[in-house]
Order: sequence, then C-alpha cells, then structure tokens
Amino acid sequence: MKLYCLSGHPTLPCNVLKFKSTTIMLDCGLDTTSVLNFLPLPLVHSPRLSKLPGWSAKDGTLNLEKELKECAGRVFVDSQPEFCLPERELLDLSTIDVILISNYHCMMALPYITENTGFTGTVYATEPTLQIGRLLMEELVKFMERVPKAQSATSWKKKEIQRLLPGPLKDATDVWTWKRSYGMQEVNSALSKVQLVGYSQKVELFGAVQISPLSSGYSLGSSNWIIQSHHEKVSYVSGSSLLTTHPQPMDQSSLKNSDVLILTGLTQMPTANPDGMLGEFCSNLAMTIRAGGNVLVPCYSSGVIYDLLECLYQFIDSANLGTTPFYFISPVANSSLEFSQIFAEWLCHNKQSKVYLPEPPFPHAELIQSNKLKHYPSIHGDFSSDFRQPCVVFTGHPSLRFGDVVHFMELWGKSSLNTIIFTEPDFSYLDALAPYQPLAMKCVYCPIDTRLNFHQVSKLLKEVQPVHVVCPEQYTQPPLTQSHRSDLMLELQPPPMAYRRCSVLSLPFRRRYERVYILPEIANSLVPSEIKPGISVATVSAMLHSKDNKHTLLSVPKPPPAPPTKKRKRVMEEPPVGQAPKPLLSGAVPLEAFLALLQKNGIMEVKVEETAEGHILHLQAEDTLIQLEEDGTHIVCDNNEPLRTTLRDLVLRFLQKI
Amino acid sequence: MDRESATLLATVCALLADSAKPLPDDTSLEKLLDRLTEFSEAGVSLPDSCPCLLDFISTIASNSTSDPSIRSFALKLSGLLAATEDGYRALQERSVLDIIFSVQRWKDTELWDDPCIRIGWIHGLKRMLLHPKALAFFVQSGFITPLLQLQSDPSMFVASAANQLLAHILLAIQPENKEHANIKTNTEHSRVVLQTTDHIKESLVPKEGTLAAGSLQVLKLLALILDQARRPLRDQLLMALAASLEELAEAAYSQMTPALMDVIMAGYSPDSDDVTSRLLSSMLNVNKPADLVQAAAAFLHQSHSCASSDAANIRQAVRILLLPLHFVTGHPLLGTGMKCTSKQSDRCNPSLYSKIFSAPSADTAIMTAQLKNKSTFISMICVCLRNTPQVALMPPGILPCLPAMIVLSVVTLLRICSGDASTSSSSSSLDGCKNEVYRCIVNCGKVQKSALEALASLSSSPGADSTMNEVSEILVHYMSNPDSDPTVLQKSYKAFVQWTSVWTDLSFISQQLREDLFMGVEKRACDPRWEVRDSTIEFLGQLHCVPTRKSADSALLSERLTAPLLREALQDSESYVRASAVSALARGFRSFVPDGLQGTELSQEQTDTVGRLLKILCEDTEGFARRAVVRYFMTWLSSCSSPPSSPPSLLLESVRVVLSRGSLDLDWEVKVNTLELAELLLDAAFSDHGRCTGAENHPYATFSTHANGQARAGDAALDSALSSLVDQGVFSVLLSGLVDCDRPVALKACELLIRIRETIYGTADVMSVSCELPEWGWGKEIRKMLKNEGDKGQRVSVCEVLTSLALDERRVLLSQSSDYVHNSFQSLLQDILSAGVTLGDAGKDGGQEVIVDCY
Repeated sequence: MKLYCLSGHPTLPCNVLKFKSTTIMLDCGLDTTSVLNFLPLPLVHSPRLSKLPGWSAKDGTLNLEKELKECAGRVFVDSQPEFCLPERELLDLSTIDVILISNYHCMMALPYITENTGFTGTVYATEPTLQIGRLLMEELVKFMERVPKAQSATSWKKKEIQRLLPGPLKDATDVWTWKRSYGMQEVNSALSKVQLVGYSQKVELFGAVQISPLSSGYSLGSSNWIIQSHHEKVSYVSGSSLLTTHPQPMDQSSLKNSDVLILTGLTQMPTANPDGMLGEFCSNLAMTIRAGGNVLVPCYSSGVIYDLLECLYQFIDSANLGTTPFYFISPVANSSLEFSQIFAEWLCHNKQSKVYLPEPPFPHAELIQSNKLKHYPSIHGDFSSDFRQPCVVFTGHPSLRFGDVVHFMELWGKSSLNTIIFTEPDFSYLDALAPYQPLAMKCVYCPIDTRLNFHQVSKLLKEVQPVHVVCPEQYTQPPLTQSHRSDLMLELQPPPMAYRRCSVLSLPFRRRYERVYILPEIANSLVPSEIKPGISVATVSAMLHSKDNKHTLLSVPKPPPAPPTKKRKRVMEEPPVGQAPKPLLSGAVPLEAFLALLQKNGIMEVKVEETAEGHILHLQAEDTLIQLEEDGTHIVCDNNEPLRTTLRDLVLRFLQKI
Repeated sequence: MDRESATLLATVCALLADSAKPLPDDTSLEKLLDRLTEFSEAGVSLPDSCPCLLDFISTIASNSTSDPSIRSFALKLSGLLAATEDGYRALQERSVLDIIFSVQRWKDTELWDDPCIRIGWIHGLKRMLLHPKALAFFVQSGFITPLLQLQSDPSMFVASAANQLLAHILLAIQPENKEHANIKTNTEHSRVVLQTTDHIKESLVPKEGTLAAGSLQVLKLLALILDQARRPLRDQLLMALAASLEELAEAAYSQMTPALMDVIMAGYSPDSDDVTSRLLSSMLNVNKPADLVQAAAAFLHQSHSCASSDAANIRQAVRILLLPLHFVTGHPLLGTGMKCTSKQSDRCNPSLYSKIFSAPSADTAIMTAQLKNKSTFISMICVCLRNTPQVALMPPGILPCLPAMIVLSVVTLLRICSGDASTSSSSSSLDGCKNEVYRCIVNCGKVQKSALEALASLSSSPGADSTMNEVSEILVHYMSNPDSDPTVLQKSYKAFVQWTSVWTDLSFISQQLREDLFMGVEKRACDPRWEVRDSTIEFLGQLHCVPTRKSADSALLSERLTAPLLREALQDSESYVRASAVSALARGFRSFVPDGLQGTELSQEQTDTVGRLLKILCEDTEGFARRAVVRYFMTWLSSCSSPPSSPPSLLLESVRVVLSRGSLDLDWEVKVNTLELAELLLDAAFSDHGRCTGAENHPYATFSTHANGQARAGDAALDSALSSLVDQGVFSVLLSGLVDCDRPVALKACELLIRIRETIYGTADVMSVSCELPEWGWGKEIRKMLKNEGDKGQRVSVCEVLTSLALDERRVLLSQSSDYVHNSFQSLLQDILSAGVTLGDAGKDGGQEVIVDCY
C-alpha cells in the first residue's frame, strides 16, 4: 500500500492511495496562495495600479519592467494570476481510478486533474459539495474572465532570472507548474464525471474495496472517507469540525479500528479560537459603523459567511445596526444563499428541524426579506444605484487579487474610518494587503477556522485509536513562529508518518488475508475434524476462480469422458482434473507406545537417542533409523521396501487422518 | 401562649396521636417544633402550660400504628420537653422516656430502618442532653453503642447528626479540669470516652476493601471534639489515637488531607511538642505535591492565632505554597537556591525538595507525574494562587522572596496561560517538562481566573507598586485578548480597578498602553455577548470612581473618550447594559457635569444625555434601567453643594419629571428610589432646620421647648421650603406612595410624611401651605382617608392632611411583615388541623391524597 503526496499544503491536500489494485485520489485542493505574487485585477481602471513603476535590477543587468511592478517595496507580477497545481509528474494521472472529494474547498484543482490528462475514472462527492464546488469554480472563472489580461508573464520564471529577483518571488517554488485559471468548459466537463454519494453510503470499487463518506462537520456536505476491504481499513480525515455550526455533526465513531488514518485539514489558526474571533469580528464591525465608516469583509461565497450572517442577524439589534445595509457581492451570491437553504438533510439537527416548521434553516432569509441584506452579482448594475454608506460589504476573493473586493479596496483604502476584516484563514493578511500599501483603512485580522485543533484531534485519535497515522509534516512540529508551543503539534505513539509534497510513503501494514467465497455444494462436501476444542479442519479440493477481485472456490469439474487417443493435446487445455488428494496427517507418535508396538512386530533391538528436536530410534538389527520429530517423521531404510512400508504403517496407526 | 392556642394545640396533639398517615406538608411539624422551642427558650414551661404534649408523647410511646414522621416528631418533642429537669422528671414519672428512646423497641418494630426515626432519636437526645440527669439517663441506658453505630450510618444526614451528638456528649462529660478527673461519676463517663475512642481508633485507618468515607466521617467527628475539648480529654484522645493518626498521615490518602488537617489544626498548639506537631510535620512532608500544597494551605489558613510562635512551620508552609509557582514560572520565589536552610532541615525533607523542585535535576519524575494528571496539577496551582495574597503579606523573615516577586510570578503565569512565549526562556526549571506544563495551563480558564483573583488581591501587598508596568501590561493584554471568556475578562477588569486605586502615579503608564486599553475597552463595548458589554461598561464606571491623585488629564481613560461609549450603551438592547451605562454615567458625574448644577453650563451632548435618561425612565421596558436612572438623578442632586435655586435648572426640571414618572412606575423599586430622591429634596429643603435629622428622630418623641424656640426663628423659611416641596411635586409623590399597593413603597412614603409632620409641627406659618389632590387614583384614595370625598377640585392644607391621615397607625401596620397574619402559631396549628381533616376525609372517601408541594 502506497501513498503519493501531490500537494504540500496541509489544508488543500491531494494524495493518491494505491490499495488493493485500486488507485484512489484523495482530494484535489488548489493552492491559490501563489496569486499573492500577482498584481490585483481591478474591475474598473485604476490609475494607481497602472502607474506603478516597473521593476529592474538596481545594477541594470535585468530589466523586467513590463512583467514586474513595484509597489511599497514589494515586486508583483503584472499578469493574469496563476495557481500552484498539485504535482503532476509523480504519477500518471490517467491511472487514477477514482477521486474522493471531502469538501468544496478541496476540489478546486479538479479540472486540472480530470481534463487533458487521460483521466477516465469517476469522482465521488456529496451533492452539496458538488453544487457549492461548482459555484466556487464558476465564481473563480468569472472573476478571471471578467477582467481579461492579454499579457502573460513568463520571463521572470526562468531559473536564472528568478534567483535574481527580490523575495518573496525569488523563493516561490515550482513556478513553471503554475497555471492560469481553467474555463467554464473544463469545469463542466470535470464536474460531469462526479457521481453523487450520501453519508454512509457504501460504494464498491471493482469488488476490491468499499468506500463510504462520513459527515465531517466542517461545511455543507463535507465528508471524511472510509476505504476498506474485508480485512483492512483506511480512514481519510480531511477538514473536520467538532464545533456546533451549520453542518451535520462529525461522525467520529465510524473512524474506529482503522489500520491507517490519513489526517489532513486541521485548523490553520490553532491559536485563534473561532468563538473569540467571531466576537472580535462583530465588535470591530460595530465600532466602525458607529464611527461612520464602512466595513469590507473579503470572503468566499460559501462556508463561514453563513455563520457570519447568522451571528450578525443576532447582533444587529443589540448593536443598533438595524439601519446599516449589508451587501453580499458575488457572481454566485444568490445561488449560494439559496442553496444553503435547500440542503436541509446535510444540516445540523437544529436547522433540520426548522425545515419542518416550515422555516428557512438559515436566518439570512429573514435578513434578505427585511432588506437588511442585499446581494448582487457584481458592483455593476443594480448595486451602483442601491449603494448606501456606511455599509458592510461581503465579497471575494479573499486574496484581494481579483473579484469585486479589488474595487472596494481602491475605493475605501484611503480613509481611516473604514475597516477591512479578514475572516478567511487561507491567506496571510499582510501579504494580501501588500499591493494596496500605503493604506489608511483599519485592518482587523480575525480568521475563523472551525476545523479541528490539536487538542481536539488528540482527543479524537485517543478515541478512535488508529494503528498508524499519516499526516503532513507541518503537524509534527510546532508552528515556526511559535516554536515553544509544543501543544500545537501532534504527539503520538507510535509517531505519525509525515509527508511533504512529492513524498511517496509505503504504508506500514501488510495485507495478510483475503476473503474467498465457497460454493454451497463444496461446503456440503467438507468433513471437518476437530483438532483442538473449538477448532476443526477439513481439506478442500476445489478450483479457485478470481474475477473482479472476488475469489470463489468452485467444484472441480468432473473428468470428461475418455477422449479418443489422438486428441490428447486438447486434454491439456482442459482445467486440470485432480485426483482425490492424499489425506493430511496430524498428531504425535508417543515414544513408549511406539516402542511397544515395534516390539510386538518383532523389532526388539531399538536404541533410543534423544535429540533437540525429538528422538532417533536406531533399529540396530535392521540397520534402520526412525527420526521422530515434532513436525515430521523420517524412516531411513535403504533397500528394504517391505520393512519401510511396515514401519510406515506402524507410525500411521498413531496419527489422525484428515 | 394564649388560651386559644393552647386549646388548638391539644386538638392538634390528639389528631397527630391518632394519625396513621403522614401530614401532607411535613415541614409543618418542623415549624411546630420550632415554635415550641421558641416558647421553651422564652422561659415557658411546656409540661406545665401544655400537658397535652405529655399525653401525646405517652400515646405515641404506646401506639404502634402512628406514622414514622409523627413518631420522629414525638422523639424530638420528648427531647425538647426533657431539656429541663422538670420536664425530664415529668416524662420519667410517666415512664415514657425509656420506652420512646428504646432502640431495641424501634428495632423490634422494624422502624429503625427508617432514617427519619433514627434522626428523630438523635435530635431528641441532643435536645435533652443539657443537664446531668439526662446525661446519666443516656449513659445508663447504654445509648453510646447504637450512637457509635449511627456514626457510620448510610444516611449522610443521620451520620452527620450522630457526629454532632457524639461530640456534644463527649464535651459535656469532660471533667472541668485535671483535679476533677478522678471523681466518682467519671467512671461511667470515662467508659463512654473509652468506647468512643476505641471506635474512632478502629475506624480511622481505612481497611483494605473498605471505603474511605468511614474514615472521613470519623475525622470530622474528631475535629469537632478536638476543637472544643479541654486538656485531660484532649490529651487522652490524642494519646490514644496518635498511632492511628500517624499511620493515616503517612499513608497519604489524598482525599483525606483536608479532613486530617482539620483534626490536626483543631488539636494543634505551637508551643507543645505533642502528637499534632509530629502529625503536622509529617503532613508538611508528604510525598505528593498536591497533598503537600493542600496541607500547607490548610495550615496557613487556620494558623492565624499562632503565627508568631510557629515561624518554622509557617515558613515551610509558605515555601510549599510558593513551590509550584516557582516551578512553573521560573521566578526565584524560594531564593536562588532551593535547598533547605539549616533552620528548616529538621522539619522538611531535603531529598524530597530537591527531588521535586530543584529542576533541572535528573529526577523530576514526581512533578512530571503530577503534570500527567492535568486536573490535579491545575487544582494544585489554583490552591497556591488562592493563598498567594496571604503569603505575600507574611513578614520578611518568613517570606523567602520579596512580595513583588510573587506578583511577578503571577503575571508570568498569566502570560504562560495566554500562550505567550517570551516567559518560557527564563524558566530554567521548566526545561524538563515544559511541554506538559504548556499542555496543562495554556488557555486554562480555571488557572486564568484564579491567577487574576490572586493578582487583584496582591495589589495590597507591600512593594506592589514596583510591578506596575508588568501588571498593567498583562491586564490590558487580557482585556483585549479575543480569547478571554466573559468571566476572565470581568476578573481582569476587577484586578485593574483594584490596582489603579493603589497606584499613586499613573504617569508611568505609557501612551501606547493607554491607547491599547482604550481600544480594548472600545471593542469590548461592542461585543456580541451582553455580559462582556455589561462588565465593560461597569468597568468604565468603576474607573471613574478611582480617586485621581493628579490632574484629570492623568486619568487612564479620558472622559472625552469614554463618554461616547457610555452614551452608546444607553441604547443597548440588553437592559442590564443600559442600567450599567446609566450607573457608570452617574459614577463619573463630577467630571461629566463639572460644576454640577446649572443647565447653562452643560454641553449640548450632556443635555442630550439627560434627555435620553428621562426617555429611558419613561419608555424602557425593564426595571433595572429605570431604577438606575432614578439613582443617577439622586447622585446628581446629592453632588450639588448649593441648594437648588431659580431660574429652574436642567437638574430641577429633570427631577420634577423623575418624581412624577417614577412614582407612577410599575416597578416597586423604582418607586422606592423615587421616594429616596424625594427624601434628598426634603434634606435640602429642611437642611437649615435643626429639628429635622431624619430617621433617628423617634416618632413619638416630644420636642423640647428649646428646639421649638429655634424652629420658630426659621418659621418663615420653613414655610417657603414646604411650599417649594409642594411645587416640586414632592408632596404629591409622598401621598401617592402612601396609598401604593406595594408595602415598602407605602412604608417609605409614610415615614417621609411623618418626618415632614414632625418638622413643621407647631409652626403656624405653614398652615397656609396647601396642595392639590387629583380627583382620580391616589387623590381619590387620600380623599377617602381624609373623608372629604365631596370637596372635589379643592386644594387641601398640607398640615391638615398630615395630621388627619393617622400616619403613625399606618406605619405600625405597614411595618409588619406581610405574612404576619398567616405566620402566627395559631395559623400553623390551624393548618395542621385542616390538613389532618383533609387527610381523614380523603381516607374515608378513598379519594385522592392531597399533595402539597413544598419548596
């Protein structure tokens, strides 16, 4: 069993598991942090961005003024943003049989894997994962296509040039594998390969393994996966949460008794408690609005935003924000808000029960109805006529490199009355803000990451007790910036197996058993004999038939009628016809009784020699040796076949035949 | 007891004696017993005045069908009657005591299994054993054996009561002093003592397979006895039990440490070198740090009286309590070396010290073992923290470090709790088990709360001001940390306020820290959790109250910054927060309204705030906020140095509104507060009049001629004062309060009216002052009382009203508690009777039992 690790990002994993002749890809997350090296894509012409000076080396040896721009001491690539794809050279992607998706954040690289790679397999995901994943991909494509950029910068990627660039561009890895965004056609084609599954539904893969998604409690439809054969069980834990937010709670008990547990997607913010951050978010929002400023919340169009809106729904009145407009701007804002209301079966119990009242499970429906929350596909159109300040705007993309958020950054960045509140944990807020410096607006970082923290995961692992744990190497040491926090790492016995990008791990367990089916008529013919209390054995003569990873014992075909002599060749092609096998012997030869028996049969002169393994009987008159050992009996008798046969029969009297 | 009650009591006794069923409300028997005890304590001889009680007991003694609860009552009642020698004699004459207290008899009827009988037996005996005859009865009847058995009764209440009785008996029979130890009567008594001692000895050390609960119970008994036992008994007990106690101390059963320490401290005296000293020494050297800390805390807690004479033990207890903090924070709380000084070496176990605490040594196993059990470690740290304030106050000879070092170590602990790295490098002792310590205490709310409480109390420790920077920084950090839970935050606020009142000079607090503090507070004032907003607003109010020794500019948070937050909080959705905001505004009154009174001096914002407050009083749906508004105006009014003058200021106009709205409020507390506001106006109006000194004037006292003479001199002023009170609406408020349906309101109004009456008594000039009575509501009620319902629309003379309202009678009536009618002895007896009748009827009709729900 092997694990190929195609992504080094612990929360955007992409691993391939080879298990029992199947090749299973576990998630295909897209690392979008690479876009932070690019200049933002403004929706309307930005004089500031267009006037940024080009970059050239101080000694004049290098001039990349067209490709690289300088802003507040940092250098950015002036080109369509590009993403860091999962590794595609480590493994032939066309050999992948299935892809299991855990949540909609972990499928953004799907088109890169399934399209133009020869992939012919199936993708398994839950319905909300597919639908919301589609929205996120669609949003990404629209963000990019809305602001097409003709220029494509590639010169800076040349190794000899890149090493001369200032950081962080200089330190960017695998830049040649970075790719521009896919298009809608690829998205549609990739998603057409998705087959929907429900929680705990069991899907057979080629008869070899069974896969089953379990609720992971992180987002709508998010799942962990169980991959098991009859004798082995591998659990794949991706983004999971034990907090009581909107999704169905995490199913922990089904993870028990795993031989291997692959652990990914822990919180990226182990020191930021989501509750505290939510409070921080609300407080800062209220403070800004009270002071007459606007609040910008760069966020994804699905996920934490539902919880934020729910929290604000309760907070608005207590903070006297009743008249403040809340805007949600995204090409998929409407679908996201509506989808969340229809996936009742995937929600937590409280929200599910609301559906039967009937009431919308999420209170944002009420916010929309009362006109407190308005949503628009973009800043163009209706929004521009409805826009009122001070207000709160939720919009993407959280990297601040594309999407409507770029416009608001340009619009509000100059006033210290306004505040930008980062809630998504995927991007460093300082890096995200770098191309907007100098910035007057206040900046608040309250990342809300509801995924498991180290304390919770230690408890979980104690509970489910897997034999081996495999995890990204980042989880086996404290965070770089907090090296003293030994509580922020996994400490297990035996220590977890760590992986990094491009690792290939041989998972440390051997398959020892295989299930074989037996036909009733063969079962009927068996004659079990008890060798120990409770243990019976029987010999089986049958033909092993293996097809689709299923093994069955069929009865041995009867010998065909005696063929004409000339057709002997054909007989060779028939299945081998077995004769009844010789019976198997079991038991031990008791020395004293055996000697007595020998004496009875006229063999008198026996010299007994004790050895480490048993005894050697020397029949001196006959010049014959009998070696009685625990696991075998040998009769060494040259040129006296009748004697050997007699002795053999005497030995056989003490043994049991099966 | 009146005759009617005596007759009723006889009927009740007859009913109870006859009843085979329990009363529906079993508390009524307890109440009856309480009443009878009160009579007895007041000197009433119950057997003489209520012979029915004796009959009742006799009947119960001979009746086998009564309900167990009634029998239990009879047992307790017998004890009460036999508590006097006469009563005892009367009962003995009827030979009921032997019967009713006979354990064998109860066992024969299998009623002994009912805990209420056993507890009745114990309580009865305890009430009785107040005189030698009763004691003799107890001893001769051999009751000590069953009582010792009850000491380990499965019912916790029975076992505890048995403990009390045993202690009571042993203390009662102990000889006065050594000289009396040999007198004849003691032979029986000493048998009791011996039997009890043997029992304690046997049960003290838990046997294999038995529960520790029995030992705990015995330890409690021993502590009870030793606490009051005098010399011969005390020595006798300690000598007999020394071996067992030492065995127990050495076995170090963790759960018994507090109880064992109670015993040791009850028998301990520092100047003697007896068994308790040895035990104490052994407890302060046990091998488990958690137990050690508990023992040290218990010792320090109870050793106030002997502090000076027991320096060695105190010194060691202090060190023990500082050890875990020293270990975790790395501050040298025990001095630079960890070794015992020669003075201590006879008492402490040096190897243990080095083993546990002189990390990094090879063997930190014991401490690491403590760390593995997170909850034990945390509770150990919390015990230490709880004691640090007391420890820090110890004299320098006892304390191994400066008190400021303790403050710093608590600050460091708080830093570690919040996951701060900067402290860990200094703590060399942590190297070996840093991970475990971090795992245990990072983000641990319990430790944070204890540490903050300790820090708050440490503000009064000597030399604390040298730690201002560290303390203020950590507290501001906790205030702005988003992960601080509401309680932690509240405790941070409390500690901060406590410390600011100690700091003599706030100028050391950097501008940056002030800004951080304000930003933290500003953010918290907008927190989604109302508890957080509430404590933040309260904090702002408390900060206003901290006396500033320097100019207003040196205040930590300037009024300019905080006032908008408070005004915003007036509109909060949670009434508690609104109320806190109003109170905070009132607390910061002097700075908010610099010269108090004149409306013209107020800024527009301040005038608006007053308007908002009046709006809250008129419109707020919750009482808290409205009460706070009334109190706000009381603060404002009482802060005015000069009496209100014309032209009418904003204050006087507002007060008039508050009086009229407050008296109409639905909340009785708002109304009482309104009356208190009116009282302030009375104080101001009558301040020149020596006669009016408030409540200390006896209502029926007659005025001396001298006082009258003085009063006459100010008659004219009195007249104008009274007129102004009438004009301000004070008089109307008082009259409406008088007829209010809420008793406290009516009482307060009545007292104030009496006060006015007394003040203006005999002043001719005030006769002309009149007030208007409305034709509705309270006006109508007052007219009814004045019997002038026909004279509609007329003004009435204030004096006439005051004299005709029979205020004194009214006050007597109002002073009585509302349940005085229903709470009388008679009513209790009637209740029992009617319950008994209902029970009888229910029995006859086979109807359903009436179940009274008692709380």
